[in-house]
Amino acid sequence: MAKTILIVDDSESIREVVNFTLENAGYNVLIGIDGRDALKFFDGKTIIDLLITDLYMPNMNGIELIKSVRADPNYRRIPILFLTTESQRNKKMQAKHAGATGWIIKPFVPAKLLSALNKVLR
Amino acid sequence: MENFIKKFIEEATDLINALEESVLSLEDRPEDKELINEVFRIMHSLKGSGAMFGFDKISDFTHNMENIYDEVRNSEKQITKKLLDITLHSVDHLRNLLNVNIAESKEVVQKHEELNRKIEEFLKSGRTEKQKTDTRINQQTTITSGEQFASYYIFFEPNSDIFDNGANPLYTVDDLYELGECKVFARTEKIPHLGKYDYSTCYIYWEIILQTSLDIYEIEDVFMFVEDDCKLKIQKISDTKIINNKNIIDALSKETKIDISKLKSFVTDIVVDNIVDEEKKVSDKIKKFKQESEITSIRIATEKIDQYINLVSELVSAHASLKLFSTKINNSELNEIAENIGNITEEIRDNAFNISLIPIENTIVRFRRLVRDLSAGFGKNIEFVTEGTDTRIDKTLLQIITEPLMHIIRNCVDHGIEKENERIALGKPPKGKIFLRAYHSGSNVHIEVSDDGKGIDINKVTKKAVERGLINFNVVLSKEDVKNMIFTPGFSTTDKVSDISGRGVGMDILKRKIAEARGDIDIDFEKNKGTKITLKIPITLAMIDGLLVKIGESLYIVQLMAISKITDIFYSELKKTKKNVAVIDGEQIPFYFMREEFEISGEYPEENKFLAIKYKNKNVGLVFDSVVGEYQTVLKSIGKLYKDHEMIAGATILGDGTVALVLDTNKLITKFSDKGQQRIRN
Repeated sequence: MAKTILIVDDSESIREVVNFTLENAGYNVLIGIDGRDALKFFDGKTIIDLLITDLYMPNMNGIELIKSVRADPNYRRIPILFLTTESQRNKKMQAKHAGATGWIIKPFVPAKLLSALNKVLR
Repeated sequence: MENFIKKFIEEATDLINALEESVLSLEDRPEDKELINEVFRIMHSLKGSGAMFGFDKISDFTHNMENIYDEVRNSEKQITKKLLDITLHSVDHLRNLLNVNIAESKEVVQKHEELNRKIEEFLKSGRTEKQKTDTRINQQTTITSGEQFASYYIFFEPNSDIFDNGANPLYTVDDLYELGECKVFARTEKIPHLGKYDYSTCYIYWEIILQTSLDIYEIEDVFMFVEDDCKLKIQKISDTKIINNKNIIDALSKETKIDISKLKSFVTDIVVDNIVDEEKKVSDKIKKFKQESEITSIRIATEKIDQYINLVSELVSAHASLKLFSTKINNSELNEIAENIGNITEEIRDNAFNISLIPIENTIVRFRRLVRDLSAGFGKNIEFVTEGTDTRIDKTLLQIITEPLMHIIRNCVDHGIEKENERIALGKPPKGKIFLRAYHSGSNVHIEVSDDGKGIDINKVTKKAVERGLINFNVVLSKEDVKNMIFTPGFSTTDKVSDISGRGVGMDILKRKIAEARGDIDIDFEKNKGTKITLKIPITLAMIDGLLVKIGESLYIVQLMAISKITDIFYSELKKTKKNVAVIDGEQIPFYFMREEFEISGEYPEENKFLAIKYKNKNVGLVFDSVVGEYQTVLKSIGKLYKDHEMIAGATILGDGTVALVLDTNKLITKFSDKGQQRIRN
């Protein structure tokens, strides 16, 4: 069965590119527009195989989202990748500390996105 | 991809607008952390998505700006006027970069370099010594490895809780196979008895020999996601291929956690130590980000909304027909259904109009910027205050009135508000004020722009009018006369031609423009106190509150807002009046027989309806046969063929399918009076 990936980003254009890439690669895609919006998918019934989230978002940022997913017994072990433009270690460590599995550096080409995905989801 | 780019441009435009607003607000509240965060976040967003969609310049450009605001966020830099100036210039520049037609033009490219230079200078300025040292350390790392094959020993022991981060170490080990040839030894001795086994704990570690032509950084990359959650050693044991070295493989098969020197002893060549020992613990405190302004909207193409509004209008008409039919049939069940549908239709209609209206706020931001830039240009000190910016109006109308409003504000800055020293001499506060206020009034939106400047000098206007030959030198103008004079084509009271306001006010053009929006413009002033200009604009062009009137069998709609009073009057009385001026409630009102003007044959009824219509601050009467009633209706265009019939604003379809023409009373009266004057001249 196709794996389900939840994308969370406040930028519609980024969401669409990621969505396009992932759907073409045969994944089911769910979409959240910010951290708070994404929480609705974590209802204990929806199967989410991977979460990809941006870090800077209104309402609820990526770090908070990651923490809240990790605190949810139903989803605490799903792989989480975050999107970042910073090669700054500081921000990455913050996200990892919150429980992220890995990251994807923006800008990315589809191949790069899929290879990062491949590190955590097979 | 094209679609994505289109989306990106829309989105980026919104972001840039929001950026401008935040930067302008920062001017008033430079300490506001949330605003600084917002600016940072927007720069960051633009950088990320700019690069994604091939807008490399935007990405480049915002990268540096982001760095500046990151430093501001961390209190390493302060918000200064200089920084805000650079940022505002950047806002303009970003808009240009987003416009593919001009992004590569010479001017924009030049501006790009110039601004980039400024930003870089700014970044360097005020840097502390410590930061400079940091940069140096970062630069020290150099890459040593070459193209040749080398062999590495890798010790990889995930922390027992690695699964908690959603990582799977097996994937990581698997990835090593892609780098070259591997011998992997999985160490399983820590796996406990089944009874004590905990599925969420990782008990396994690995020892690996990897032979690859890639350098050590590529190997580290494989462990990128897990390096902080494991014990990892990557050591070069040889600059040759050793994957088939039996001694080494044997040793690893027999012995775990093997000593590296032992492995090295099996190979004879000289070995360079290059040890990366990573056991890092990080205890970064996680910052709490404040919740930013809520986004609770979605984007819909405007043509879709237009379509929706159109369909809703059709629904309203269809319901009117249903209602008429059900009344005729007089079946109680049908009546009930019709009524029900009627209620829903009404709600849908209100809702639809609500959706198509947008707050004037977005436009106001541009004005704030305008006032700021202009007052700097004129060396004036002006404050721009707004009220009711959440007032909503049809987007098309907003577009129509934006330019006139801009013009009005320009005039305030240029001609209205005095220089600081003049103001002080007049006993006014040195800082001038422009006040924009918007509010709903019935089915109209009123937008007032007032300033506390010099107002309009009636004497000066009189002098000018004499010079222009508009009036005789001995005429004394009243305030009302001056108001009308101002809207006369080609009239301007400025002596000097300024760069910004051009050849002066051009109020006649504004008036025409506002009339396009079926609106009205009014001016009030007092010498040395200020000027106030009021725009009255309908909320929407699609809907009108009208009065349905009749001449013979023909039906017309007159806009309710244009009517000041309705009176019953006998035809015989009207016939007796001189020069078609009736006296209604003590007021002399010139009037027109509509039956006559429209050349509709038939007899006048004895009792007529006299509609007093507001026209240029006076009342003008229009005489119809009878009034059917109030009618809220959807205005339909009557098609290109009739577009030159200025007296008719459009048409509407009544419940029974009859068409009624909607009269544009303003234009109609102008036309009648022109005709009247021609008659007199002839």
